[in-house]
Amino acid sequence: MNHPTERTRMRQLVALLLLVMMLVSCGEPASGPTPPPAAGAVPEDSFGALDLVTTVHYDPPIEMSSVAAVDATIKFLDGNDIHNNVWTRAYEQLLGIKLTYQWVVDGSMYGQKLGLSVNSGDIPDMFGVSAAQLHLFHEAGLLADLTSVYETLASAKTRDVLTQDPVSLKAATIDGKLYGIPLTDAAVASAPLLWIRQDWMDQLGIDPPTTMADALEISRRFTEEDPDGNGVADTIGLCATKSLWGAIAGLQGFFNGYHAYPNIWYERDGKLVYGSVQPEMRSALEALQKMYAQGQLDPEFGVKDINQVTETIAQGKCGMEFGVWWNPYHPLNQSQANYPQAFWSAFPIPSVDGVPAKSQYGSAIGAFLVVRQGYEHPEALIHMVNFWSDNILGSEDDPLRNTFLGSIETPDVVLYKYTPVVLWEPNAIINDGNKLRDALASKDPSGLNLDAQWRYRIIQAYFEQGILEAWVEVATNGPNGATTILEEIAADRGQLNRFYGVPTPAMAEKMPTLDPMQDEVITKIIMGDPLDAFDQFVENWYNLGGTEIVEEVNLWAERNQ
Amino acid sequence: MRNTTTRPLMRQSHLPLILLGATMVGYGLLTALVGGWLSNQAMSGLITAGAYRSRLGAFEQTAGLVVALLFFVLFVLCAVYASGVARVAFAIGALASAAPVLVGRAERLLFQVIGLPTMSAGSVLAGAVTTLIFTLPMIILFILLACGRRVPRACRWLSLASIFVVLGTAFFPIYVTVLAFLLKPGDPAVGRMIQVSSQVIKLRFILPGLSLLLLALFSLRSTRQQAPDASADVAAVTLTASEEGESR
Repeated sequence: MNHPTERTRMRQLVALLLLVMMLVSCGEPASGPTPPPAAGAVPEDSFGALDLVTTVHYDPPIEMSSVAAVDATIKFLDGNDIHNNVWTRAYEQLLGIKLTYQWVVDGSMYGQKLGLSVNSGDIPDMFGVSAAQLHLFHEAGLLADLTSVYETLASAKTRDVLTQDPVSLKAATIDGKLYGIPLTDAAVASAPLLWIRQDWMDQLGIDPPTTMADALEISRRFTEEDPDGNGVADTIGLCATKSLWGAIAGLQGFFNGYHAYPNIWYERDGKLVYGSVQPEMRSALEALQKMYAQGQLDPEFGVKDINQVTETIAQGKCGMEFGVWWNPYHPLNQSQANYPQAFWSAFPIPSVDGVPAKSQYGSAIGAFLVVRQGYEHPEALIHMVNFWSDNILGSEDDPLRNTFLGSIETPDVVLYKYTPVVLWEPNAIINDGNKLRDALASKDPSGLNLDAQWRYRIIQAYFEQGILEAWVEVATNGPNGATTILEEIAADRGQLNRFYGVPTPAMAEKMPTLDPMQDEVITKIIMGDPLDAFDQFVENWYNLGGTEIVEEVNLWAERNQ
Repeated sequence: MRNTTTRPLMRQSHLPLILLGATMVGYGLLTALVGGWLSNQAMSGLITAGAYRSRLGAFEQTAGLVVALLFFVLFVLCAVYASGVARVAFAIGALASAAPVLVGRAERLLFQVIGLPTMSAGSVLAGAVTTLIFTLPMIILFILLACGRRVPRACRWLSLASIFVVLGTAFFPIYVTVLAFLLKPGDPAVGRMIQVSSQVIKLRFILPGLSLLLLALFSLRSTRQQAPDASADVAAVTLTASEEGESR
């Protein structure tokens, strides 16, 4: 019997492989350079396939000029630019509004360029302004009254969005008339929460804090009982920055625990008062002074900026901080990156007494959309806002979101940056968090949009696969996460800054002096100056212009509230 | 013509192998059930994430220690009761006993005791190391059994299949995690893979345990088929070398 040798077999195998490779290569499409898209080619829009709501269609189309601020990071799909993109095409094809931009500048130059345009009389039909510009241009008689068009044409969703923040429409109203559409955002997002290293609490067998006394005790134990177990007394209870206030390691949350509300205006006995000079500040300062003396605050906090505090957190040296809901994304994620077991939990601000503490926050309205006085179609702005509110906000329709916001295939192309009409639901964080938590509880993510589904999967990876890096989503949007506390704050545990107007004359003149004085006194008291310095500061504050500011603010309140 | 004899995996009793497989399946089921119960509670908001972690950690550390000891004893018994390549296989398999101990302790051991860099993916690295410590000895065990000439044919095929099963259950979750957190974050397709992965990870101990149980079953069957007189300690079957293939 003739058996093929090993060599013969190998030859046969190689020949077979070559044959297969040839067949495979024959099956490939013809190689060669792909022809470039024709110049000026624009991708097809599929508006017809989307379930869109429109409240107008001008026929023939109307013209609307505007101006745009873009940042350097903005990117466009092939064939698109700021003058020709999905939004300009949607406005024209779906609403009959032909939007053109008179000029486009970097965001940092916008205010200056707008001022030049207005001074030269070249005013766009619709444009964005700051609160100060709103009042300035109104006084110059440049802005159209939008009261009636808003009242008659705003859709239910638009009204809902604009009234979720109780001060947003008031901020755009002057002498009882609406002169702008506020670009809303989540106001409550700036409210401080108490973030604590949960793994340290577990390590030391500490229960969650319910009072400020509990929080102070946790701080003491974190400082004295070596929660990281490295045998070195290198941990501190509470992080703070030299600027004292802010979204990261700010101290306003600590003061809130003592019912003190620095830097904001709130109502007391029917009048607006300035929180920084109220007596409640004193007891909070006393507590901070003790913490500093006992090493629970970083001895160098007076010179540490946010970056340096972030470093302290990353090094696993800090156990508590007062910060906003998104802190796990930054800087708290840094500690988990270095210490996989690190996990921060959010807690409502504890109270010094039986009265629940309130987290302070301010309106998130930073800009307004206005219409030039004399423009023939002031109502067109309302229709554009309706288009955004009715179709984009709260939509779970992924094709629609991909068309107008951006898709996962091109994550660096953020389509909504191409339109000036961008409003965010003030309660979106809370609503989205609730939807996500409902889906987690029922284990059914089918009703979530793509973003929320991804968050769902990440949280699932944490709980079902032990991927600790997913803790950021768990701590923010997961069950009992930070956004659940925001809901409580929005309901009745928040202290909103009641002054949302442009700075009063005395405020504009005196605050640049009074604010640094305040911060200096507070820092010095924390570091050991006698508490009487606070009383002296209050006296000085009133004498150096505070009295005048309080009078002006209350006068403003009488006119606007 | 060359004669090769096969014999069962265990010389005297298959009980250690059955117990080993059953323990592995039981541990896998127990961790899946406890983990699933706790994660359900946490995802429903009935307990906090902190409580979830501390309870799961306490369970993993206690159960892991007990099971690791059981695994080790049973692997050693299997090695004692086996002979030839099977003995070597079970002796190497005993190294996998270290894995349950490491579950819940790996992060501290790797990054605080040994001082390895976390590379911002500490839990993934720790999970991968724990997986490797279980998977590697188990794969070598199955490779040795798959290659052993005296191992019953059915056991060899089963061992071959088990290699892929162990590899799949071990590395698919790691692959998905790398995709989800590093390579394709936000990709819906990866999102669906996370869901599959969270189920696959529950099979990490169950499937190898089932393989061991089936190995015991096949080995017992070969004993009964090839040696009807049960008094024989070792069943011997003569096979021709040509039946085994010339490649040997």
